[in-house]
Amino acid sequence: MNVTLVNEQIQDATFEIKEGDSLVLNLAAFSAFPGATITVKVAANASFRGAFADFSNGEGKFVLKVFLEGPGSECDWHLSSLADHSDKKVFDTSVAHLAPHTKAEMSNYGITMGESHLTFTGVSEIQKGSVKTVTRQAAKIIVFDPLCDGRCSPVLKIDENDVDASHAAIVGRLNEDHLFYLLSRGIPLPTAKRLITLGYLKPIEQYFGDQDLMKKIDDSIEEGI
Amino acid sequence: MSVLKITNLHVAVKDKEILKGVNLTLNEGETLALLGPNGHGKSTLLAAIMGNPNYTVTQGSITLDEKDILAMSVDQRSKAGIFLAMQYPSEIPGVNSADFLKAAMNAHREKPMSLFEFYNKLQKTYKEMGIPFEMSNRNLNEGFSGGEKKRNEILQMKLLDPKFALLDEIDSGLDVDAMQVVASAIKEEQGKGRGFLVVSHYARLYDMILPTRVAVMINGKIAVTGGPEIIKKIDTTGYEWIKTELGIEVEKDEQPMNKVSIGVCATREAVVGSKK
Repeated sequence: MNVTLVNEQIQDATFEIKEGDSLVLNLAAFSAFPGATITVKVAANASFRGAFADFSNGEGKFVLKVFLEGPGSECDWHLSSLADHSDKKVFDTSVAHLAPHTKAEMSNYGITMGESHLTFTGVSEIQKGSVKTVTRQAAKIIVFDPLCDGRCSPVLKIDENDVDASHAAIVGRLNEDHLFYLLSRGIPLPTAKRLITLGYLKPIEQYFGDQDLMKKIDDSIEEGI
Repeated sequence: MSVLKITNLHVAVKDKEILKGVNLTLNEGETLALLGPNGHGKSTLLAAIMGNPNYTVTQGSITLDEKDILAMSVDQRSKAGIFLAMQYPSEIPGVNSADFLKAAMNAHREKPMSLFEFYNKLQKTYKEMGIPFEMSNRNLNEGFSGGEKKRNEILQMKLLDPKFALLDEIDSGLDVDAMQVVASAIKEEQGKGRGFLVVSHYARLYDMILPTRVAVMINGKIAVTGGPEIIKKIDTTGYEWIKTELGIEVEKDEQPMNKVSIGVCATREAVVGSKK
């Protein structure tokens, strides 16, 4: 099943994916920040793939809770968020491994500019008995301006030995070496920053099959930076 | 004729002085080989000319045709005609090679070039460097092998057409074939009158590109300059003669910890060794 939700269509919802089924959920926000809670329950050998392109403005909290309930169930989540002006955005993305051989990948990428605040939180939980589980959590925020604020706090809660779990959190300014490389080729600073930022946010587009939506994401990135 | 002139240059990295008064002049059309033991400041000199923010110039001057390079931003230095082929080119995630090259080439001209002109030039240069054209669609240096990264540096040099190219160990990580490609690209550019400042430890590259002059950097200064015969001397006998002939004590690279092997009491060895 394929579901695409744009702007105010993003509301509190629960999705249950039956055994062996799959759900592709694409979210895109360009207007007001959608403070919603989305719950996804994934049965045995079923898969969930979610992508969220967030270029909205405002403040609030977006919550994603994924329950990998059946053996062999999988979750793959990607977020790109751009916070600017006085935005205050929180993304709380959690996954619970409740069965063996479950797999989850959560990656959240963000840029904070102006006086905005951007926070990524989330818990990856592995319940006892969920052997051979693989879980990865990556959160990365680039802080552009002196007055903005980026925070990442991914948490792993593991109650089983036979698992493969990792998390990475990075909050930082644009990589100085990358900037130097581009500048040394004569590219002016604003263009260099733009290229790196584009490269950081643009990969989210690959999850959106819809050409119009991809174009809109493209325009939002260009406009935002 | 263009001249790159370095006068009494002192450069520090995090308060540690690496260059202690370098004097060097490079003329258009010259290929200057810069040799010296590791850790004596060869790469530092190249990085300082390009304006790497990790290197602080504390004294001295660098001019290009009497214009003060040190007063220029990094991108201005590039536009003024300086190019640095880096020893470890950065992998830049998400930045498409072709987009990057277009931005760099356009920065060097008054008006942006047409797409047709750009792609023609790009295709031709990729071919000359023996790099598959599909790689222009990949992210900049991301997942490139060591040799591919180095070829990609020379490719950029060809596209940007600088007056002076600084090559920092361009031959490291290259196999014999790639070395040929890189060397013949350099030779072609030499023919166009470009000036080169080349850092390498190996006589092999120098045999191919035939430097016109040689400078040896010792203890953060140019200890000796001369003709290509110095390369052969260093290649066969090392740097010992610097001490015996010139009376300059060659400072050794600092070894903060004694080297130990697994199987001995490593902690004890390290402690005892460091007291020696």
